[in-house]
Amino acid sequence: MLKPVSRTIRWALLAAVCLALGCRPDPNASKVQLRYMAWGNPEQMELEEKLCEEFNAQNPDIHVKFFKVPAAEYGLKMMLMLASHSAPDVMRVDHYNFPSLVAKGYFYDLTDLAAKDKTFKRSDFFPQAIEECEYKGRLFGLNVLFGGDLIYYNKSMFREAGLEDPAEMARKGQWTWDKFRECAIKMTRKESDGHYKQFGFGAPSSSSTFPILASAIWGYGGDMLDKQLKHAVFDQPGAVKAFQMIADFRWKDHCSPTQAQGANSLFTFESGKLGMVFEFMGMTPRYRKTIHKFQWDVCPVPRGPFGNTTLCKGNQLVIYRETTHPSEAWRFERFITSQSTEEELYVKLRRCFPTRKAMAYSPEYLQTKLPPYNNWAFVDAVEHSRPLPINNRWSEWMQEFGSEIDNLMAGRERDAATVLKRAKVKVDKVLADEAGF
Amino acid sequence: MQPNLLRRAQKLTHRPAFWGFLFISPWLIGFLIFTAGPMLTSLYLSFHKYDLSSITYVGGENYRRLLVEDPLFWKALKNTLFYASVSVPLGISASLAIALLLNQNVKGLKLFRTCFYLPSLVPSVAAALVWEWVFNSDNGILNTSLRMIGVTGPQWLQDERATPWAFAMMSLWGVGGARMVIFLAGLQGIPDSYYEAAKLDGASGWKCFRNVTLPMLSPVMFFNLVLGIIGSFQVFTSAYVMTGGGPNHASLFYALYLFQNAFEYLKLGKASAMAWILFSILLVLTYIQFRTSKRWVYYEGGDK
Repeated sequence: MLKPVSRTIRWALLAAVCLALGCRPDPNASKVQLRYMAWGNPEQMELEEKLCEEFNAQNPDIHVKFFKVPAAEYGLKMMLMLASHSAPDVMRVDHYNFPSLVAKGYFYDLTDLAAKDKTFKRSDFFPQAIEECEYKGRLFGLNVLFGGDLIYYNKSMFREAGLEDPAEMARKGQWTWDKFRECAIKMTRKESDGHYKQFGFGAPSSSSTFPILASAIWGYGGDMLDKQLKHAVFDQPGAVKAFQMIADFRWKDHCSPTQAQGANSLFTFESGKLGMVFEFMGMTPRYRKTIHKFQWDVCPVPRGPFGNTTLCKGNQLVIYRETTHPSEAWRFERFITSQSTEEELYVKLRRCFPTRKAMAYSPEYLQTKLPPYNNWAFVDAVEHSRPLPINNRWSEWMQEFGSEIDNLMAGRERDAATVLKRAKVKVDKVLADEAGF
Repeated sequence: MQPNLLRRAQKLTHRPAFWGFLFISPWLIGFLIFTAGPMLTSLYLSFHKYDLSSITYVGGENYRRLLVEDPLFWKALKNTLFYASVSVPLGISASLAIALLLNQNVKGLKLFRTCFYLPSLVPSVAAALVWEWVFNSDNGILNTSLRMIGVTGPQWLQDERATPWAFAMMSLWGVGGARMVIFLAGLQGIPDSYYEAAKLDGASGWKCFRNVTLPMLSPVMFFNLVLGIIGSFQVFTSAYVMTGGGPNHASLFYALYLFQNAFEYLKLGKASAMAWILFSILLVLTYIQFRTSKRWVYYEGGDK
């Protein structure tokens, strides 16, 4: 007698659970569903979460679901999703990966959407910010977290060493690599026991030296790859001179910590033990939060015989080619890169640099109550910026190149020309090889 | 039809194998889907050029390029062989030594056992970060200690001559782990009567170890050797975290190079071919060990 009863109860329970879980009406079911994927530090994620909520509130016909992926897994996760045709409608892609992915046809061509959108004017933007998102003359993304590389310097340390302010020198056109070297040497101090107390300049460890080297290479008239990005040209005199100079800062002038000296964050800009560092513009919020013991500011990269070009780079907001809602995805992209969003992110919070020219030139951007005060240097950097030579073999050739440059930066070899000649052979081999093998 | 089917089912359930398979089915299904499946897929991929977006059949080209054209493949193999040849004997002797110590009847034995086991519980990435500090040529604990006795230590992670040794040394970190526990279990399985008999015959401590402990431990030793060699060929995390394969590819281990090819350069065909070459190498090595084991592994109650 008991058995059938309990079975009925069991079925009833199961049905109830199913109803509760599956058949609950979803308030967003009737809307266009978009998925958006990005990575970033907690502050960035919180901001993007807020942006999605705002967008959902303002656009009752669309519901954007934001999902966050840890930075370390992001690239791989995205590639697997793209390969298995399950990528989200909108994604943020680091420019390091953009060229190789866009070449594989994963992204939606935005050129026509942009042409139809009356509010999208190309002339509003810094040309570098648009060019980075293009592939074969077509637009495949919108730039976010865009910016250039420049120098953050310890103003107090400059003053204590009796040196002129580098931003002042830059304004007068006197901020050259020779001056840079002189300042770096003068700011380097030792303790009485021979240990270093502070260094004038922090050259990052080998694998990430490139951003700095880019401005030195270009400043001396050299380059990394040829225009077609098919052959290495860093064995030419300009680049050799630049590499030699950076390595000499460490091994000859001893004004920059070696890898061993700088390990365990012994010398960081934030601790006040480095006079100058090359950093991306997005470091401002962090430095504002962490630096209280000394005065700091920003200035342009030093001038070489061929000028003071720095690098610029951003992330691309792309739409998945297989999305069923391209125009809704475009609306979301436009919202994430809208004027008011840029004002909040880049003018108020200084997370990076605005892509709109008018905004960068506005008094709100240029005059701030908090450091850095030389905001013109950010604008100057982007105006004088070039993209990195990132092609679809970037990670491969950087591995070969980085391993050779490490010989130079770790002091195992002292002659840049020899190292670069060897590196050229290796990099050319990678670039000539058939992709995918 | 119906009774026939029922009878057959009944017959099936009477066979012990049926229950065996039934009970291991969760593992079996998992193995087929998550291990055997991907393995076969990788065998298939190793004959293709595959970058996640397009796939082309290339025959043995991946293998040919690796063996003939890729200097880094040989470099990685050489690095790994060196690592294995140093870290396996070193690790096994150290594990055995600790197991012998922890098999003594001393006060606080449980505390000692816990302490020696602790390092193997540290996540390998965290351990690698600690070792990075140990090996720092200027401020690291290793070179600082060497300096105290008047020796200038090498630039462990920046000098390609020192780096392979640094990694071999680092492999000692886990010696108190599972391998030591297995040795300990093996030691406790040796009956005291054997030692008593040996002592009555006048055997010294070393002779006891040589003629009682070692032969009795040989199956355990064999087990640890097979697993140790396989494990050492798969060394990855420490190099991935600490050096990324540098300096000058001195710590580019096989698994690291495989990983780079697969997930950094998206050369999944090449990476699959590498995986199968590694599999063949390990298969051969293990086969050799099994063949030679008959000469030195002693099984109690079995033929020598």
